Amino acid sequence: MKKTILVLLLSAAGFIAVWRFEPAPLASVAVAQPRTSSPTTSGAAVGATEVTVPGSVESNRYGTVQVQLVFTGDKITDVQLLQEPTSGRGVAALPTLREEALQAQSANIDTVSGATQTSESYAKSLQAALDAR
Amino acid sequence: MTTTVEHIMGLPISIDLGDDVPAAAEQAFDWLREADERFSPFKVDSEVSRFDGAPGEDLREILAICDEYERLSGGAFTARLPGRAFDPSAVVKGWAVQRAAELLRSAGVRRFCVNAGGDVVTAGGPWRVGIRHPDQAGKVCAVLDSRDGAVATSAAYERGAHILDGRTGEPAAGLLSVTVVAEDLTTADTTATAAFAMGVEGIEWANARPGCEVFIVDEDRRVHRSEGLALL
Repeated sequence: MKKTILVLLLSAAGFIAVWRFEPAPLASVAVAQPRTSSPTTSGAAVGATEVTVPGSVESNRYGTVQVQLVFTGDKITDVQLLQEPTSGRGVAALPTLREEALQAQSANIDTVSGATQTSESYAKSLQAALDAR
Repeated sequence: MTTTVEHIMGLPISIDLGDDVPAAAEQAFDWLREADERFSPFKVDSEVSRFDGAPGEDLREILAICDEYERLSGGAFTARLPGRAFDPSAVVKGWAVQRAAELLRSAGVRRFCVNAGGDVVTAGGPWRVGIRHPDQAGKVCAVLDSRDGAVATSAAYERGAHILDGRTGEPAAGLLSVTVVAEDLTTADTTATAAFAMGVEGIEWANARPGCEVFIVDEDRRVHRSEGLALL
């Protein structure tokens, strides 16, 4: 049972990572350490026992996340967000630069926005090539 | 389409005119040359160099913008670094280019794209504005659909770690590239520079500024972009 809970917790952690963060570097954020609370028995049958497992509160620079899992028997029947990052109008921190750049490769462009270019560096730049068309 | 490029304030400035309005680009370039003479901290006779506490109307406007963003960014953005001469250049460029764009509009140009060293003002779009890839000079990492508005990017890849965090005096850290889309270039440019100076906390800060949308690459190469950003 303990192993099952761990596996399911990691699954839930994955879900949270997908929900809010890029999984790889931030996976640790959402891996909640279970503090197994006393089972709340709600049914007579063993398989129907409902257990609520709150995760620990995890914070990083993007905010604080805490999840709570509800098991009925061996199955997760609910994942509740006890705390989630608040972020104004919402900045999605999902894609990586590589993914974004791949999306942008095929597009034609009229001009380039970039860090302030000097006249010296202009000659060999993409902007100079666009201006020369 | 006519593209004219001139080098003013040490920047390559391109003006694309979609409408054929002779002399409009020249008026805009004239104004930019005037702004350079008047507001460069590197010219001994400029209003900034001679600044003695009694600024003219334009310089007052520039100073007010400097003060506003210093306050909004908690001091990360500042024109008054300790041990250095007063330098409002971070505001002057965007402000001057925005005014150049307004001169084009006044001259009757409905469709144009001005690019001043990487900061862009467009009118009568669609204009496809690429955002330079922070690691690869010849590539873009996103393309925006810009109609009537401005796109500014702050980063260290062109001129090194020249943006300092005014709170510490140290080079800004945490972000590779900050692009801000706003209605005007004064807002876009100043917000981008301030967010870059603030580092990671600048992500949410810039996104929450009224009328601003962001495309930000952090140093772990994650992309943070506003939900409403008009990507192509």
